[in-house]
Amino acid sequence: MGAVTDDEVIRKRLLIDGDGAGDDRRINLLVKSFIKWCNSGSQEEGQYQRMLSTLSQCEFSMGKTLLVYDMNLREMENYEKIYKEIECSIAGAHEKIAECKKQILQAKRIRKNRQEYDALAKVIQHHPDRHETLKELEALGKELEHLSHIKESVEDKLELRRKQFHVLLSTIHELQQTLENDEKLSEVEEAQETSMEADPKP
Amino acid sequence: MERAVPHAVPLGQMEVFQTLQRLHMTIFSQSVSPCGKFLAAGNNYGQIAVFSLSAALSSEAKEESKKPVVTFQAHDGPVYSMVSTDRHLLSAGDGEVKAWLWVEILKKGCKELWRRQPPYRTSLEVPEINALLLVPKENSLILAGGDCQLHAMDLETGAFTRALRGHTDYIHCLALRERSPEVLSGGEDGAVRLWDLRTAKEVQTIEVYKHEECSRPHNGRWIGCLATDSDWMVCGGGPALTLWHLRSSTPTTIFPMRAPQKHVTFYQDLILSAGQGRCVNQWQLSGELKAQVPGSSPGLLSLSLNQQPAAPECKVLTAAGNSCRVDVFTNLGYRAFSLSF
Repeated sequence: MGAVTDDEVIRKRLLIDGDGAGDDRRINLLVKSFIKWCNSGSQEEGQYQRMLSTLSQCEFSMGKTLLVYDMNLREMENYEKIYKEIECSIAGAHEKIAECKKQILQAKRIRKNRQEYDALAKVIQHHPDRHETLKELEALGKELEHLSHIKESVEDKLELRRKQFHVLLSTIHELQQTLENDEKLSEVEEAQETSMEADPKP
Repeated sequence: MERAVPHAVPLGQMEVFQTLQRLHMTIFSQSVSPCGKFLAAGNNYGQIAVFSLSAALSSEAKEESKKPVVTFQAHDGPVYSMVSTDRHLLSAGDGEVKAWLWVEILKKGCKELWRRQPPYRTSLEVPEINALLLVPKENSLILAGGDCQLHAMDLETGAFTRALRGHTDYIHCLALRERSPEVLSGGEDGAVRLWDLRTAKEVQTIEVYKHEECSRPHNGRWIGCLATDSDWMVCGGGPALTLWHLRSSTPTTIFPMRAPQKHVTFYQDLILSAGQGRCVNQWQLSGELKAQVPGSSPGLLSLSLNQQPAAPECKVLTAAGNSCRVDVFTNLGYRAFSLSF
């Protein structure tokens, strides 16, 4: 049991002040000089002063160690705070990443729509403008009307001429008929006259 | 046709056989589990492998985490297409569609829950099913493939309700336009047809190869991939990869990619496409190439984005194609690692 605790003690002392210089040696020296001073009996101021100075050196180094310990505690707190802040910002970054991913999807959808629109627009551009086509249609319609008017008037003229020719031809036929009738009548009259001349002879 | 290893083969030969199998493997389809933590991949031998994404993405991932948790023989022919509902994995390829329960898949010796074959006109040859599409509002599944028709199957009763005819050649890909519930289908005949599910009629037809800006006659007129965003549609394959405005049926942007693309999808404001060539291409709607990220397969056939809300840590893009590897991209900028059959 004693060996174990000795080991522990030695380990701890090595850990704290392994190199042997400094506080441990000073405390040992102080204890030795105190014992010497107690045993010497003579009131030597020098030894007393030296002991006091060693003591104050020890107190000084103890004060320093306490301050360092305080500092370490405060550093620990500081690190804990920073650690928590970093965790929060990591969580925040995760959320931002998710947001950004949604935005990317949205932007991709928008880009797709825009590209679809562009593709259709390109095809539409190939076809001529609607206003121009309408104007052309109107002009063509007017020409069509004009031409149909002309056609109607020409047809009317044709009808008139046809009727006039018809009248002319029928009048000529009538005249021919009348002339033929007259000839026949005159032939018949001649025949009657010759037969009447032959008759009164007996 | 290669199948699983027969029993009476000495060990050395089996390893050689397996290595040869892996060399000639093509992964056609992928599907993410409803919990978001597993990825199923189907290959040309009819096998489906289930990988654990959460294990492969975790910080203690080792080489074994990049191997499948379980592999089983699902079909006799290649598994061309797979989709997941909230409890089942549906896989199709050689003319049949089979359903597997996700909770059962991880146990060895999993049996299919049911299998169905759409009513084909001829019983002589069974046409393959190239594409599956889930319509969640009607709880139905649409199958399309070699017989040029779209078959609609009700998932509750298993009955085939409608057959939509109109394509003149086999159908490669399907897409769902959510707002007006319409299905888009693209096929070998070069036309993208929009079908209204309620009236079972063809509503709109876009013949891509007839438009000069995007047609590439030297590649053919086949439509290999389709994706839609309700108002817009992207399609590619033989003709150049083009963005179409559906209401006016006009091609608005042509993406300058020479290689035919086999899979395309909309993602946020980008269009991701992959096809012949190692890279996954990222395009902006204006036609600019934003990035080209190389993968490990010489050609890519399918892309899968794991956006299941239950597993946000497994949000990855996986790409697979002409090899036995599935590339995993955690960030669209680079390939993180590859899972392997």
